Amino acid sequence: METKSASKKERIINGIKSLGKIRPKINHTTIMTITALTIILFIAFTIRLFPMRWEIDPTTGKTNLLLSEFDPYFQYRFTEKIVKDGVISWAIENNGKGWIDYQRWYPSGINVAKAAFPGLPMTAAFLYEIVSMLGVGINLMSFCSLFPAIMGALACLALYFLGKDIGGKPVGFLSALFLALEPSYIQRTSVGFFDDETIGILSLLLFAFLFLRAIDEDRRVNSTVKYALASGAVLGYFCAGWGAAYYPIGVITLFTLVLLIMKRYTRKLLLAYGITFGFGLLIAINVPKLSPNYLLTGAILPVAAVFGLLFLAEIVTNLKTAKWKVISVILFLALIVGGIIALSYAGYMRGIAGKFISVINPFTREASPLIESVAEHRISAWGSIYYEFGITIIFFIIGLFFIIGNLNNRNIFLLVFGLTSLYFACSMVRLFVLMAPAFSILAAIGISGLLKPFVALLKEPPKISVKKKYGLEHVGKEFSGIAMFLIFLMLMVNLAFPMPRVYTQAYTPTTISGGSLSISPQYLSVPVSEWIDMLNWMRTRLSPTTVVCSWWDYGYWITVLGNVTSLADNATVNSTQIENIGFIFMSNETQAVRMLKLYNASYILVYTTIRSDTGEWVNAGGDEGKWVWMAAISGKARQRFIDNGFIPASDMWNENLDDIRRLFGNYTIGTNWIDSNKNGQVDSGELEPNAKGQNATIYKLMRYAVESWKQKHGKSSSTIKLLYFTPEYIAGLDDDGSKYGGVVPLVCLYKINWEKYYSEHPSG
Amino acid sequence: MFPKVPDQHKPGKPLVPTGLGVIYVVVSAAYLFFLHAFGFDVESASISNVSPALTLAVCILFGGFMGLLDDWMNLRWRYKALFPLVAAVPLTALAYRMGARTAITLPFLGTINFERYYFFVLIPLMVTVVTNTVNQLGGLNGLETVCPAIIMVGLMVASGKSALLLTLPLAVWLVLAFFNFQGKIFVGNTGSFAIGITLAAFAIISDVKWCLLISLTPYIINSSMILLNYFFFRTKANVSFDGKRLFSDHRRSLITLITYRRPMTERQVVAIIALLVAASTVVAVAVQMFLL
Repeated sequence: METKSASKKERIINGIKSLGKIRPKINHTTIMTITALTIILFIAFTIRLFPMRWEIDPTTGKTNLLLSEFDPYFQYRFTEKIVKDGVISWAIENNGKGWIDYQRWYPSGINVAKAAFPGLPMTAAFLYEIVSMLGVGINLMSFCSLFPAIMGALACLALYFLGKDIGGKPVGFLSALFLALEPSYIQRTSVGFFDDETIGILSLLLFAFLFLRAIDEDRRVNSTVKYALASGAVLGYFCAGWGAAYYPIGVITLFTLVLLIMKRYTRKLLLAYGITFGFGLLIAINVPKLSPNYLLTGAILPVAAVFGLLFLAEIVTNLKTAKWKVISVILFLALIVGGIIALSYAGYMRGIAGKFISVINPFTREASPLIESVAEHRISAWGSIYYEFGITIIFFIIGLFFIIGNLNNRNIFLLVFGLTSLYFACSMVRLFVLMAPAFSILAAIGISGLLKPFVALLKEPPKISVKKKYGLEHVGKEFSGIAMFLIFLMLMVNLAFPMPRVYTQAYTPTTISGGSLSISPQYLSVPVSEWIDMLNWMRTRLSPTTVVCSWWDYGYWITVLGNVTSLADNATVNSTQIENIGFIFMSNETQAVRMLKLYNASYILVYTTIRSDTGEWVNAGGDEGKWVWMAAISGKARQRFIDNGFIPASDMWNENLDDIRRLFGNYTIGTNWIDSNKNGQVDSGELEPNAKGQNATIYKLMRYAVESWKQKHGKSSSTIKLLYFTPEYIAGLDDDGSKYGGVVPLVCLYKINWEKYYSEHPSG
Repeated sequence: MFPKVPDQHKPGKPLVPTGLGVIYVVVSAAYLFFLHAFGFDVESASISNVSPALTLAVCILFGGFMGLLDDWMNLRWRYKALFPLVAAVPLTALAYRMGARTAITLPFLGTINFERYYFFVLIPLMVTVVTNTVNQLGGLNGLETVCPAIIMVGLMVASGKSALLLTLPLAVWLVLAFFNFQGKIFVGNTGSFAIGITLAAFAIISDVKWCLLISLTPYIINSSMILLNYFFFRTKANVSFDGKRLFSDHRRSLITLITYRRPMTERQVVAIIALLVAASTVVAVAVQMFLL
C-alpha cells in the first residue's frame, strides 16, 4: 500500500517537473536581445505618440485623434472609401475608369485611381478590418492617426535586422535606437502623419534586407529564390505605396552595377536581380497610377541596362575563347546603342535626360512657384544636415571610414545607400527621411567600430604595452568602461536634454489641432479650436455639394472634415485651376466674382493670424504670408487672364516676386514701407497704404475679419466695405489672445452675394 | 582603478597613477551639460545641437576619447590628425549658426577675411594643430597641466562672459595640475588631448583665436623644432636624467633647448617653460584686449 502511494507521489512530482519542459528554452542572450529590442520599440512608439497631448480635451478628458498636415486627410478619405465599398471598388467603379471624387477639384473632380497610390490606404483598411474583427472599438480616423506610429516602430525593428546582417547585433541595436530617435523620421511617423512615408521607409528597409540576403553567397539556391521573390513583392508594394520608389530601385541598380565593376559578379546576383525586379515591376505596372508606361520612365530603364550587363557578364564568364568574348561585348554594345536610338526616335530620351539632370543638379529644376511654394520641396542647405542629425554626424563620418576600409558586398551597399541618400537629402528637404535609416546604420557602425578595441579589452586581460614616455605596461578593464561612458555622454548631447531636437520634433501638435499656427508648441497649452469649429460648422450647416473656394492648402480639410466641395487641394493635379484661385484672391472683388462664377461657388474661405496686443498681422501660418505665392502662381498665367477678358493688361501682375511686392505692398499686402532714414528698421511714418493691395480680394476678406475682431475687443478699428461677400461665420472672433500665447487665429467664411452681383452686372 | 606607470625623472622611478585626465573630461562634460540644461548657456540656444556649452562638451569628450585610444593603441599620426578634424564638425556648425566672424584681425596689419574657408578650412585646421601641439609639450611633472592652465586663464580673461563655460573645468584642471606638479599623478594623453581641444574649441566659440595663437607661441616653437628635426634629420628629441637633473646634448625641442649643456632639475625646467607660457599669455591677452 505504502509502495503504491509512494509511486503515485513520484508520478505526480515527475508530472509537475515535466511541466517545466514546456517552458521555451531561452538563453540569457536571447532574453537580453528581446528586452533591448522591446525597450527600443517602446521608445520609438511612445515618442511618436507625443502629439496626442493636444488631442485631449482638457475639460472633458476625451481624446479625439485627428490627422496632421494636409495630405493625410486625402489618404484617410481613400481609406474610408475602401473600408466602405470594398478593397478594389476604387479601381473598378465607373465602368473600370475608377473612383472619381467630385467633392474635390470641382467641377471636373479627381480620378483617384489615376492620381493616387493605393498602397497606404489598402494597408490601413486591411489592418483596420482585422482590428475591428478582433472587437477593438476604434474609429477609422483614430486608427489612421495611430498607424504611422506603429509603422515607425516596425521600421525600427526592420532596421535592427538589416543592421544585424551588416554589422552584427550591436550595430542592429544602435541603428534601431538611432532611427527611433531621428528627428525627421519622428516628424513623418508621429501621430496623425498618415502619409506614404509611413509604409515607404518600412518597405525600403525590408527590401534592402531581403535583397542582401538573396545575394548572400552562403545561401542555397532555393533560399536565394525565396528571398528574391520576397524582395520583389516588397518592391512591388513600395511602388504601389510611394512615388519615391525610384529611389530603392535606383540604389539597388547602382549597387549591382558597382558590384559588376568591382568584378564581383556571381550567378546568384543575376538570379536575385532578375527575380526581384521582374516580380516587383510586374506588380508595379498593375497599379493604375503607374501603368505599363512606368517601365519606360527614366529611372526604370537603367534597371534593364544593368540586367543586360549582368547577362553579358554571365555569357562572358562562360565563353572560353577571347574571340567570342569580344563578339558578345560588341553585340551587347550594338544592342544598347540601337535601344537608345529607338527610344530617342520614339521621343523618350529627352524626358529621361531632363529628369536625370534635374535630380543630379537640383538647381536646374524648373523655377516653378507652384513647386517652390511647398516648403518640403525646397532645396535644403548643406549646413542643415548638421542641425538635423547633431553630434551623431561625427559617428556617421567615422562609420563611413570603417566601411570603406572593409568593402564587402553589404558594406558596398551601405556606402551606395549612405552617399546617395545624403545627396538626395541635400537636394530636397523632404528626403531627409530617406537618409534617416542609412544615417542610423552608419552612425551605429562608427560607434561600434570605435568601441570594438575597448570591448575586446573588457573581455580579455589586456596585454598591450604602449606609451613609450612612461613605459605603460597594462591598462585596467575600468578604462574600457570609461571609453564607453564617454561615448555615452556624447550621445546624451543629442538624445537626453530637456528640449533637444528629437523631442521638440515629436512634441508638436497635429497641424489642425495646432490651428495651422506656426508658433512654438510651448505656447499651445490647449488645442487650437478655430479650424475645428469652422469645419464642424460647415459639416452641420452646409451640404456636401456646396462649393467653397479657398487656397489649396485647406482643400483636404474642407472636403474631409467640412464635408463640402472644394476647388483645389495639395494634390495639385490641375495647375490652371490653382492659377484661377490665385487670381480670385489677388484681383479686385468684381474680377474675383466673375471668376468664381465659373465654379458655381457659394462660399469663400480665408485664414489669417493676428497679434492680440496690436491687432496686426503676425504671419503665423495665415494667408497674410501666402498671398505672395497666390500672386506668383496666378502671375504665370498673366496672358491667359488678359486674353480671356478677366482683367485688363494694365491691372494684371506677373510672376516675378519683386514686381509683385512692389505692386501689392512691399511690407505686406496693402502696405508699403519707405525706409526714409535708411536704417533698415520700420520707424513711425514710414508705412503707407498701397491702393492696389488694399483692393485685392484676399486683403479685404482678411482685413474685414481683423477689423471685426478689433471692434469686438475694444480696439480702434476702421471699416472695410465688402461688395459681393457677406460674412457668414468667423471662427476666433471671441478669442482674446490669452489662449495661444498672444496669437489669434481667424478662420473666416464669407457667402458670395450673387444677387447683388447679378443685379449690378446683369450680363454676368 | 588607474594604471600605474614609473616616473622616469625621479630617483628610483616610483610608480604613479596615470590617465587622471579622464576626471577633467567627465566633470567638465557634466558641468557643461548642467549649464545647458538649467539655462545658463552663454548664448540663447533654441536648437540644442548648436549650443556653445554642448558643443564644448562634445569636443572635450571627443578629445578625451581620442586620448584613451592613444594611451592604449599608440595611434598613428594620420589618425591623430583625422580625429580632431571630425571633432571640428560641431564647432564649424556652431560658428556658422552663431554667425561667427570669418575674419582674423592681425595687429598693425589689419583684417583678413576668410569667408567660407574660415568654417571649412580654418576651424578644422586650428583644432587639429592646437590639439596636437598641446599634446606634444609634456613628459615632465606639471608641464602638461600647469602650462595649459595658464593659457586657459588667459583665454577666460580675454573672452568676457563666455568664461563661465570654463570655470569648473579650470578648477578641476588646477587640482590635477597641483598633484601632477608634485609628481603624484599623470593626466595621460586623455588629459592632454582633452585640454588641447578645450583651448581650441573655447577660442573659436568665444572668438579669441588670436589670443590663443599668441599664447601658444612656446608650444608652436616646440612643435616646429620637433617636426623640423624629424623631417630633415630623422632625429628625435631625447632628454637625459642623471638621477637628479635633466640635461641634453642636442636642441631638438623646447625642453632639450633649455637643458642643452645646462643641467637643471625637473621643476626648474617646468618653471622656465611655465614662465615663457605666462609671458606669451600676458602678451596675448594684452593684444586681444587693447589692440584688436
